[in-house]
Amino acid sequence: MQKINRNVVLALLSLTSLVFLLFQLCYYKFYLSQKNGASFSKVRGSQSGQDSTRWHVVRKFLGLISSHNIPVYLIDPLILGLVDKDIEQIRSSPDGPSPECKYFCAPRDFTTFALLDKTWKHDVGLFRTAEKMGFQWLKIINKDPRLDGMDDLSGMEIPLHYIFKLASHAIHLVVFYERSGNFLWHGPLRLRQHMDRKFVPFRKLHFGRYPGAYEKPELLLVSIDDLKVQIPKNPSSFLEEMSHSRFLECRYREARAFFQLYPDDASVDAVEFRKKAKSLLHLAALTLNNLGVKFWLSSGTCLGWYRQCNVIPHSKDVDLGIFIRDYKADIIPAFQKAGLPLKHKFGKLEDSLELSFQGEDDVKLDIFFFYEEDDHIWNGGTQAKSGKKFKYLFPKFTLCWTEFVELKVHVPCETLQYVEANYGPEWKVPVKTWDWKSSPSNVQDNGVWPIDEWDNVIQIY
Amino acid sequence: MEEWKPNPPVKPHKKRSWYLAWKYKLMNQRALRKLCQTGAVLFLLVTVIVNIKLILDTRRAAYEEEEESAQDYDDEMLNVEVPRHPVNNKKVLDVEVYSSRSKVYVAVDGTTVLEDEAREQGRGIHVIVLNQATGHVMAKRVFDTYSPHEDEAMVLFLNMVARGRILIFTIKDEGSFHLKETAKNVLKSLGSQVAPFLSWRDMWTFVGKKGGEVYGEKHAKSPALSTWGDPVLLKTEVHLTSVEDAECHWPDTELNRRRKRFCSKVEGYGSVCSCKDPTPIEFNPDPLKDNKVFDVPVAVIAGNRPNYLYRMLRSLLSAQGVNPQMITVFIDGYYEEPMDVVELFGLSGIQHTPISIKNARVSQHYKASLTATFNLFPDAKFAVVLEEDLDISVDFFSFLSQSIHLLEEDESLYCISAWNDQGYEHTAEDPSLLYRVETMPGLGWVLRKSLYKDELEPKWPTPEKLWDWDMWMRMPEQRKGRECIIPDISRSYHFGIVGLNMNGYFHEAYFKKHKFNTVPNVQLKNVESLRKDNYETEIHRLLGEAEVLDHSKNPCEDSFVPDTEGRVYVMFIRMEQEADFTTWTQLAKCLHIWDLDVRGNHKGLWRLFRKKNHFLVVGVPASPYSPLTCRSKKPSSVTPIYMEPPAKEEGAVAVPAVAAAEQT
Repeated sequence: MQKINRNVVLALLSLTSLVFLLFQLCYYKFYLSQKNGASFSKVRGSQSGQDSTRWHVVRKFLGLISSHNIPVYLIDPLILGLVDKDIEQIRSSPDGPSPECKYFCAPRDFTTFALLDKTWKHDVGLFRTAEKMGFQWLKIINKDPRLDGMDDLSGMEIPLHYIFKLASHAIHLVVFYERSGNFLWHGPLRLRQHMDRKFVPFRKLHFGRYPGAYEKPELLLVSIDDLKVQIPKNPSSFLEEMSHSRFLECRYREARAFFQLYPDDASVDAVEFRKKAKSLLHLAALTLNNLGVKFWLSSGTCLGWYRQCNVIPHSKDVDLGIFIRDYKADIIPAFQKAGLPLKHKFGKLEDSLELSFQGEDDVKLDIFFFYEEDDHIWNGGTQAKSGKKFKYLFPKFTLCWTEFVELKVHVPCETLQYVEANYGPEWKVPVKTWDWKSSPSNVQDNGVWPIDEWDNVIQIY
Repeated sequence: MEEWKPNPPVKPHKKRSWYLAWKYKLMNQRALRKLCQTGAVLFLLVTVIVNIKLILDTRRAAYEEEEESAQDYDDEMLNVEVPRHPVNNKKVLDVEVYSSRSKVYVAVDGTTVLEDEAREQGRGIHVIVLNQATGHVMAKRVFDTYSPHEDEAMVLFLNMVARGRILIFTIKDEGSFHLKETAKNVLKSLGSQVAPFLSWRDMWTFVGKKGGEVYGEKHAKSPALSTWGDPVLLKTEVHLTSVEDAECHWPDTELNRRRKRFCSKVEGYGSVCSCKDPTPIEFNPDPLKDNKVFDVPVAVIAGNRPNYLYRMLRSLLSAQGVNPQMITVFIDGYYEEPMDVVELFGLSGIQHTPISIKNARVSQHYKASLTATFNLFPDAKFAVVLEEDLDISVDFFSFLSQSIHLLEEDESLYCISAWNDQGYEHTAEDPSLLYRVETMPGLGWVLRKSLYKDELEPKWPTPEKLWDWDMWMRMPEQRKGRECIIPDISRSYHFGIVGLNMNGYFHEAYFKKHKFNTVPNVQLKNVESLRKDNYETEIHRLLGEAEVLDHSKNPCEDSFVPDTEGRVYVMFIRMEQEADFTTWTQLAKCLHIWDLDVRGNHKGLWRLFRKKNHFLVVGVPASPYSPLTCRSKKPSSVTPIYMEPPAKEEGAVAVPAVAAAEQT
């Protein structure tokens, strides 16, 4: 009796859980397929259909934009990655028919194209044609950053991204704008409240999480998978650029607030210094970029950018940072050739290297080399008369692009931590007297150079 | 929740069942049963695991999704878009109109759309146009019909208003003194009973539909010459029509959609909104061959004079070689109507919060506009700067295209300007001729980016300085001896009559007779001779061939210049030092050219035309072209002409008041 009972109970329970399990499985599958859309159902065997859908959508899109004379180019990292492997072959046979659909059929949710804003006329007809062709489209607009730095101007909002959706595939069209500093900028993708959050899986987009800065690319017209399309001439370097493209806008609003508190110095001296600092920075950027040495705004120059979006007029020099691993022996001769004689050189490659060049009229260019440790980054300082060494500690940081005095330059992405490490929590208050040996909040004594090394590590010209 | 249930009862058997299953398989019925039980238990366990996994997965996915929408892709600025116009199904508008000596107001459905009780202002007939379908205010005007000619403007305006619109009239102070018969008849044709008999200091209000019914009229007669009529308050109801009836039925194109948007909002632009055969809003002028200024941004500086802006943009968009994409209109203030005009033409417009007052406000607006222009077009080396009260010549861009390389290559140049200060109907002749001048004329000019970014922008006058930006730019500290290139016949025409430094009288005296080029595709003559050194050679050549006029005659007389054509004449005036313009100012005055300050000079030399002859004026001895220094063939008998300034008052008073007059 008891046993039967137990069996019945067991059987009942098994049945319930079986039903339950089936239900769960169904739900699980439904949920996943909804989230992943095409890529999940592809596993379910309709591979070729899905593949050709992608190709067809891309072909339709290219037809659409060419009928409106809009020059777009391909920036899809996935496809460019595939293209890059066969780049020689693609370059050499620009018109050859391709035997198989190798690139545009690769599994993915989006195909990304770029559009230079100034090359098209914001023709509304494009969208009407798109709708006729069956595309659903979404436009993402936002404020124009080129006017953001200016007091009280309200321009029209500019389109930053377009998404064209057809069947299970979507085209992401990123709009690039030219910025002062001779580079291209694309905006972040931000959804407004009323927008359809489920229009496409936005999180999977390759562009739009952050704004980005790019060089103007050289383009190449190629034929891949029987579609004629423009691609960056060198896909691998484009992909490399893409991985470090994050752009930080200057904090214009905070800068305005700063100037409300501390009115800007508009004296002749200040104007002159800013002008010199700007041209010195341009010259330095040109020189270092030619050498391929990555640098960023450091110390006072970085503070000026972060706090007031401008050169601090009483700072008297321009400060740059370079990772010691990027050091090249050519740096000194290159600057000398550019008309900036070496003023002093402190430290050595292995320790506390610091270069200082003499710009026009007492404006100095200081280059600090940064050494990476496991949990921090530091640069060194040397007092010439005593041979004392100092160490300036910073939390680890990565580099972002920004626009500063009409120049595209790097700054630490984690700018606040960087500035706070250097200038303490009171960095918002301008200080006119600054002692580089004691004022920074991250300075540490680092011993004294051995006397016999002085000739090498303390060179003053 | 169920998953814990199966476990406790079977758990103790689990290990043993495994064991038994191995050992007594098939030998024992019990063993078989146990096997089944074990299977069931295992199965249940799997269920549990799958369930747990599912829960975890859904959680993670949900979290990611949340993160996605919450952090990365949400607009930080919560743009809550409230529907702008609450749906108004009401078919009747309550209109209240008040007319009195010192105050007028109009209220539509309780909202005041006009209120004017300022003293010494707003005299005359106030007119408001309402959209007959929505009740929105489409135009607001005041015509000071106490003064002459204002009634003509009113007739012109009323004729431009589309049929079916609702018109509201009210008089403040006095509106009949110069209200002529024609105007009275127009008002009568609108349905007014009183208008034909409107007289001195009467108060009057009227509401009617153009070409349709009258909604109400009230009138209060002035009892005596010295007193005003009693205040009048008219309350009436206006029945709205359907939106379809209020709109024209143009073919559905992108252009017409823009037109429709515009025409349903504003009134007073005439044929652009006419239902039959509206005037075009796209012009497609011929492109220029080898256009060197196609990529040069054009900044149009505007205030709140939308009718001016409309006229200006029409002429600009009709100029050959124009590139609408490079045009940005900068509006000083958050005015809607100028923005509507900008959108009508499909251009981009930027509004600027006014900073400071009067001249400083204009000056700050200029700075913001120029900075924004170079930000928006970072590639540009130049910018064309225009104002909203200019007509643009059909060959404006052709003129710039032919001369812009000079600005790029010649460091001694400050600007290229389309305006010749001294180019009046009677003093300008040659559309292909260019000059170098030491003054900065403005009124349609090209600015070099490097000049702006490196020199002007950093030290631009701050808001508290009430300076005119153009006067500031003309100061020696800024100009640094550089010169501007100008055409003999201006490529812009200043039509603005109302403005900061402008009034009707002043416009009539100094701007109305300005010559304006209307010939397309003018090939400029000898552009290379405009370079710094070449120009000196050119001047010496001219002086060499010039005939010296008879200095015993009065230079103000027409007979001073012989009745010839195409000759070059020179006259000498006294000019003791570089800044001595006494005689020049008198000469300019009697020649009826710009005499309010010195314009158009190049090293003490002025070039203009008289009776179709090129006419050179040299200041002796300050100018390097004085006969002693340049050894021209001046007969020794000639004494430079000296003209006495008249008794101080007039001239001296006028100058400061209107010195920067044309930049408005």
